[in-house]
Amino acid sequence: MSATTLDAPAPQTHDHHAHHEEPGFFKKYLWTYDHKMIALQYLWTALAFLLLGGALALGVRWQLGFPGAEFPLIGRLLPETVAVDGSIIPGGYNMLVTMHATVMVFFVVMPLLIGVFGNYLIPLQIGAGDMAFPLLNELSYWLYVLSGVFLLAAFFMPGGAPGTGWTAYAPLSSVGAYNGTPLGQSLWGIAIFINGLSSIAGATNYITTVVNMRAPGMSMFRMPLPVWSLFITAILLLLAVPVLSAAAAMLFADLNFGTSFFSPAGGGQPLLWQHLFWFFGHPEVYIMILPAMGLTSEILATHSRKPIFGYKAMVYAMVAIGFLGFIVWGHHMFVSGMNLTLSAAFSISTMVIAVPSAIKTFNWMGTVWRGSIEFTTAMCFALAFVSMFVIGGLSGIFMASTPVDLFVHHTYFIVAHFHYVLFGGSIFAIYGALYFWFPKMFGKMLNETLGKWHFFATLVFFNLTFFPMHNLGLGGMMRRIADPTVYEHLRQLQPLNVLCTIGAIGLGFSTFLFLWNVVVSLRSGKQAPNNPWESNTLEWTIPSPPGHGNFATTPTVYHGPYEYSVPGMDKDYLPQNEPAPSTARLESH
Amino acid sequence: MSTAALTHDSHNGHAGAPPATAKFGMIMFLISEGMLFAGLLGGYFVLRWSESGFPWQPGYAWPRGEGLPQLPVLLTTINTVFLLASSVTFHMSEVAVNKGKSGLSWLAATIFLGSLFVGIQCYEWWHLHHEGLWFNTGGTYGSSFFLITGFHGLHVAIGVLLIVWCFLRQALTRCFTPVHHTALANVALYWHFVDGVWLVVLTLLYYV
Repeated sequence: MSATTLDAPAPQTHDHHAHHEEPGFFKKYLWTYDHKMIALQYLWTALAFLLLGGALALGVRWQLGFPGAEFPLIGRLLPETVAVDGSIIPGGYNMLVTMHATVMVFFVVMPLLIGVFGNYLIPLQIGAGDMAFPLLNELSYWLYVLSGVFLLAAFFMPGGAPGTGWTAYAPLSSVGAYNGTPLGQSLWGIAIFINGLSSIAGATNYITTVVNMRAPGMSMFRMPLPVWSLFITAILLLLAVPVLSAAAAMLFADLNFGTSFFSPAGGGQPLLWQHLFWFFGHPEVYIMILPAMGLTSEILATHSRKPIFGYKAMVYAMVAIGFLGFIVWGHHMFVSGMNLTLSAAFSISTMVIAVPSAIKTFNWMGTVWRGSIEFTTAMCFALAFVSMFVIGGLSGIFMASTPVDLFVHHTYFIVAHFHYVLFGGSIFAIYGALYFWFPKMFGKMLNETLGKWHFFATLVFFNLTFFPMHNLGLGGMMRRIADPTVYEHLRQLQPLNVLCTIGAIGLGFSTFLFLWNVVVSLRSGKQAPNNPWESNTLEWTIPSPPGHGNFATTPTVYHGPYEYSVPGMDKDYLPQNEPAPSTARLESH
Repeated sequence: MSTAALTHDSHNGHAGAPPATAKFGMIMFLISEGMLFAGLLGGYFVLRWSESGFPWQPGYAWPRGEGLPQLPVLLTTINTVFLLASSVTFHMSEVAVNKGKSGLSWLAATIFLGSLFVGIQCYEWWHLHHEGLWFNTGGTYGSSFFLITGFHGLHVAIGVLLIVWCFLRQALTRCFTPVHHTALANVALYWHFVDGVWLVVLTLLYYV
């Protein structure tokens, strides 16, 4: 808060930084105010959590495929609460499911999409030197780490980790005598609360940065779609996350102070938890998909060498999804005994969301249509994102209808659905975006051959893992059961469970192809030029990786971000900071 | 769009965002805080709604004759006057700073009134606990009352600490000037917000 900020605008130059000495290890990697380094902090931490979350998922799949068999290699190292004599026990199975989901949602997908790409791309794509509040930015990262420590500590508590699912439905979660893990569940509540603080700090920063720090000429409708998507996501975070924090506080109080928010004995209502949780939980679904949509749009346009089809429609569709996301939470609660008239209302609002989602899908197809497509690994992942998202979106429409949902809600059909949007959607987009922006982040190209192997392995094993779950669900397999073979009607489905498990193991190994690619490319990858994909947005106009302060001089923006193959121009792209020649016929203004 | 924002110096941790940007960020944060209280009060409202005689029917005020103590409504109303007065004194300190004065006496008055509010709330908690009302007694009544006033009281206490921080900075360095007092203005925003939330809490918890 020094008075220097009031000085007249001065261009940021690199000489300006030249006399600064290189910061030490601590200042450079651990406590930094540079948004790019904070993004990388998020990246490495979230990838570590990805491995952990994946390992937990393999525990789940192993138990479902081969119930009671000893978990290979590390079975005997697992805590008593999870596995006895190396084989997973039912309570431990619940813990694995709960921790897998919590880790993946709050510690992998959100940090990767919002922490990594939000931090990295927002200042670079709007032409700013950094975020509006760099200290808050770093604080947000360390709060995320702290919340992770609290979550993982739950494994080592007496009774073990919580086993109530990531939705932690009351009264199972709110009464220690029911769940048997009051300490673990309390730590879960604390972790969610602190994670929420981190999200709110980040969201405040992103919104402020986008609104206040755009370069001259960067009007709202010249912003690249990743920035738009992250901006809308930040608004959703700002409004939805505090409600989860409030719910987590109530849960914590119920467990530790003897309050009765969710316990009927004291006049409380278990259903209140579900309403509060899903009021957050549904916007959360869009928090995890909107940035993926924005990143994908960028990749599709660049690698099709075509303007994004219907730029403004894309923006308005995201705004509509963001708004509608707040009035559909009840569709998670059709089976809760909720009022049926209310169910009908939530059914309709949910189906309405299909409209903006379909607009986006058609616009992606319109973008690719008759483009000169370059099948880079990033593009493959982006195309797979669209395909997988459509599958997940279509199964979502099944569940929007109350009568259908009543039958499939407690089955693996739901598990298939949300993995198609969360893995097939979000994670595919994250991989695509990592291949796309890795050259900018590290100055090295990722290896394309390994990338293709990674892509096809992920695509094949992903579908092998999750597609049969549709059949399992419609065949009647319930969610959250530790051993399907004890049910007479599920025994005939066991081969499908084995198939899913084989797919999951393959999917787990395909992750290592990516990590291997990262290691190889960082060590001996091809040097990345400033603009390897001949893309238009501002981050490609500066060195890879960009120096401190990002832009040598504040860029001026002359037109929209998707001017590819402009008629009347020699080259097929036109960076945002280059004025168009008079012969060019631009899409944007 | 403010071009001044672009001068923001990322390599220098001591540089802050320009005043307009900082204020915008504070407002965003407060919207989020508003949603936190909306969640807490919404939950309370749902629980209250399911009870007969809500709202505003005589004889149905919480708690309903289960030997639980009544809330000290009169004392709290007086306490509310202190809190609102503290918003006025904080505003006066900003006015004083804008005129080039130190504003220290107004800040001191704000700290005093804010602390008084926290103190009386603490007394109220102690009193109710003594009379047999606590988190775990009185069902959703005790639950809601203590969790919500607890969250709010925590916000007021943090606010008081922030004002003390402003006071010390101003007393030691005179850093707030008519042209530059971003931190003071933002703490003031926070303080007025916490006061506003209190009026809603007061109405919903004490009056209806």
